[in-house]
Amino acid sequence: MKRLLSGTVAATLLLALGACGDSADSPAATGEAADSGATLTLWTRAATESVSKAYAAAYNATHKNQVQVTAYPNEEYPAKLASAAGAKALPDLFASDVVFAPQYASQGLWLDITDKFNALPMKDKVAPAHVRNGTWNKKNYAVPHTIDMSVMLYNKDLFTKAGLDPEKPPASLTEFAAAARAIDKLGGDINGTYFGGNCGGCNVFTLWPSVWAAGGDVMNAEGTASTIDSKEMSEVFALYRKLYDEGVAAPASKDEAGPTWLGALQSGKIGIAPAPSAWLGIIEEKATFKVGIAPISGINGGESTFVGGDSIGIGATSKHAAAAWDFLAWTLGDEAQVEVVAKGKGVPTRTDLASNKYSSADPRIVTINNLMGKGKTPYAKNFNATYNDPQSPWNTAFRGALFGDAQKSLGDGAAALTASLKK
Amino acid sequence: MTLLAPTRPTVLPSAPPRRKRNKQWIGALYAAPTAFVVGMFFVVPLGLVVWMSLHHWPLLGAPTINAPENYAGLADDDLLRTAVWFTLKYTVVVTVLLFVLSFGLALMVQHRRRGVGLLRTAFFLPAAVGFASASLLFLGLLSDEIGPVNRVLETVGLVDGYVSWTSGSPNSALGSAVVLVLWRFAGFNMLILLTGLQAIPLDVYEAARLDGATRWQIFRRITVPLMRPTIALVLTLMITGSLLAFDQFWILTRGGPDNSTTSLVMVIYREAFIELDLGSAAAISVVLLGVLIVFNAIQLGVLRRRSQ
Amino acid sequence: MPRKISAAALAVLFLFPLLWSAWASVRTPSGFGLENYSRLFTSDNGIRFEHIVNSVTVSALTVGGTLLVATLGGYAFGRFQFPGKNALFLLTLAILMVPYATILIALYVLLGWIGLQDSLLGLSLVLIMFQLPFSIFMMRNAFEAIPKELEESALIDGCTSFGALTRIMLHAVRPGLITVGLFAFLTSWSEFFAPLILLNSTDKFTVMLAVVNMRTASFGAIDYAALEAGVTFMAVPCLLLFLVLQRSYVRGFMSGALRG
Repeated sequence: MKRLLSGTVAATLLLALGACGDSADSPAATGEAADSGATLTLWTRAATESVSKAYAAAYNATHKNQVQVTAYPNEEYPAKLASAAGAKALPDLFASDVVFAPQYASQGLWLDITDKFNALPMKDKVAPAHVRNGTWNKKNYAVPHTIDMSVMLYNKDLFTKAGLDPEKPPASLTEFAAAARAIDKLGGDINGTYFGGNCGGCNVFTLWPSVWAAGGDVMNAEGTASTIDSKEMSEVFALYRKLYDEGVAAPASKDEAGPTWLGALQSGKIGIAPAPSAWLGIIEEKATFKVGIAPISGINGGESTFVGGDSIGIGATSKHAAAAWDFLAWTLGDEAQVEVVAKGKGVPTRTDLASNKYSSADPRIVTINNLMGKGKTPYAKNFNATYNDPQSPWNTAFRGALFGDAQKSLGDGAAALTASLKK
Repeated sequence: MTLLAPTRPTVLPSAPPRRKRNKQWIGALYAAPTAFVVGMFFVVPLGLVVWMSLHHWPLLGAPTINAPENYAGLADDDLLRTAVWFTLKYTVVVTVLLFVLSFGLALMVQHRRRGVGLLRTAFFLPAAVGFASASLLFLGLLSDEIGPVNRVLETVGLVDGYVSWTSGSPNSALGSAVVLVLWRFAGFNMLILLTGLQAIPLDVYEAARLDGATRWQIFRRITVPLMRPTIALVLTLMITGSLLAFDQFWILTRGGPDNSTTSLVMVIYREAFIELDLGSAAAISVVLLGVLIVFNAIQLGVLRRRSQ
Repeated sequence: MPRKISAAALAVLFLFPLLWSAWASVRTPSGFGLENYSRLFTSDNGIRFEHIVNSVTVSALTVGGTLLVATLGGYAFGRFQFPGKNALFLLTLAILMVPYATILIALYVLLGWIGLQDSLLGLSLVLIMFQLPFSIFMMRNAFEAIPKELEESALIDGCTSFGALTRIMLHAVRPGLITVGLFAFLTSWSEFFAPLILLNSTDKFTVMLAVVNMRTASFGAIDYAALEAGVTFMAVPCLLLFLVLQRSYVRGFMSGALRG
């Protein structure tokens, strides 16, 4: 009896799962009005929570639709999304790290918004790198939600102390190393620089721009083969490795997995280090020192940045696709980008709004905003498992390059990464 | 007629008497809620997992059968191999250390002496903290920012400058996790072993002592054999728990440094939620479950035979 | 004497992490104070009143449900014979051999199908299931340890088996009940992964989820002090219960329930 019962339940479950395997209902077919007073659920990761909530608050105040934001711990967010997808119970909207967007797009977790996006008047001014990442097989699935770029942050007070000009930051990676060495000579517990030596995501964010600035690349355009054993990447690793071996980079860098990265920079004991641009405001809030910004450069010059942040799309199982798109389109509009993002010291996702009434107040913000045109967002379907995850082959490769047998690690790494990218 | 041997009443294979059958139904009724919860929330999902292991199972979209590809693919997985070796090594280390520690604590508190209640409470108190909480506690305790460990070691002179216990080296990372587990679970296992210890009648010890046995001989020849079922239970719980270890590595060491503390369940998690390959994750789970079932069956069999 | 010292030293070593956590939670840059706790409760992703209500609800449901199922089940296994008894018992123990990550997605799907997704009740049912191996093992042994005469005398006096159960047996297995209830409370109170996956709305989140959020709230900075405040806050009810119920659960263990 019990066996029959559980057997029936099991069979029903499997049948249902199998039947529901086909494509979700086409959003066009629902035909509901855009601002219909729907309640939309939006999921985001903890790091992006404040921005998502700011968008939602402003939207809710002026629309009938109401957006409810739920934030999840960063590290467990992918598990949350995967479980919801597996149960065909995704929220109406969900954001994700932009580098994960190709994977989610390829899995069909977001609805196809190609037509809707192409109908937008400002579609060409929306961060092109981000838009590309939300694309799969020439269809659009996600739009930019937040932009976070990597820059060099430096402690102007320590610069002055070390005899460097605080208004003339390094223009090449070699100059950066020299500056770091000069500051490290100040002694005590002051260190020249800092990096996330145990954090895959941190390193792609901070080291790859130097490769791009030198004209090289870390992958092929489709994101299916790795080129980290290239000359440009090896040189960058060698430079940072030397800084670590000389003690110019703080010893704690080796074990930094990300959670205490900001704390190290806030301490005021680090001279100059690559970091997220969003931290400018956070560090200044509590700092007793002045903070400067410089673009990340290549070994001999050039400028580039990693255009990171979050993408957002409509959940594939959503029943309020039209209302959800209304919100997304609104977030890309002038009002949202200027009054919510720029006012909150964020980087607008619109290239034509890089200079706006809020940004011009601080020339550093203008510098950051203008970097968007010079930077890249790497595209790879299997980005998370290949680069970000603590158990990724990238982690093994770059740690070997920085702390072990550099040549072997990069050579083996390129092969392992390519294998992982192809999965 | 009367000279015929008396006929024996024919023995029919009788149904159990009505009262016994009623009792069976009543027993089944009492067991029904258990059967419901176990059936609905364990057997059904488990069946689904086995089913999934035979398919390529995308998150959305129809699954397609691909057996035995998921299983065959396991052999080539380098990370899985590393994790298997590590998990086995970790299981041996933890089981040995935890068992010795718990047994030692149990021996320490078995006799009714003054203050024994306090000791017992002190050893068992860590069990009041949830495992995730305990991992977070240790994260702070071993940290450089607010933890006392580095500060003390620096003053004593054993350590110079910055040291990371949870990700500095494979051994220190393993050590951090092991210390956490010892702290959290020694008291619990101590209580279980204590039950076994205190079930041994005192006159057995008396007789042995009269016979001139040493403490060690008493321990080896009397205590341990009489405690066999308890020891078996404790070892089973420890081994199963270690093979399934996840929280301590996820929170404390994140599987590092360099994948040196990546456990099997972490690989299952990664396969399911990062690689989004539910079929392979299910396959690893099924294999792990199989190993555990075999191990427990062997252990039960050995125990049953020994106690006969 | 040396043995007494080493025993005391060990006790201090075991108590140290908890004491340190409490100490670190009230340590501020300017000495001592409660500002870590205030941060814990008022920061953006800190603990809210509804989190506490949710945790209490889930724990109450889990403890109640576990006691109900385990008592009835333990009675069945300890006192009756019925078809499928051994199979069911082994299946229940098998729950110990399956890690969360394996069946969580399947459970998520299942809860969706019976309409219990994103609900505290659904979460509690899953937690009850995970408690069953320990609880049923405990209660079965507790019931087995009761001398048959006790039950038989009740039945002779005209009670049904249910009457015998409630009037006589429950009193006899009280230490076991308290142990089972206590452990059900402990695990459900500090559960992290199951609520994370099975709950969707922030207003249903439990306290543990909020505390873990303190770890990775803003990427790059762990608020260690608030984290320890969270750990201490979570531990206090458990420690109190532990100390208050000490005699009962020690007796529960000692009653031979876990002799194996």
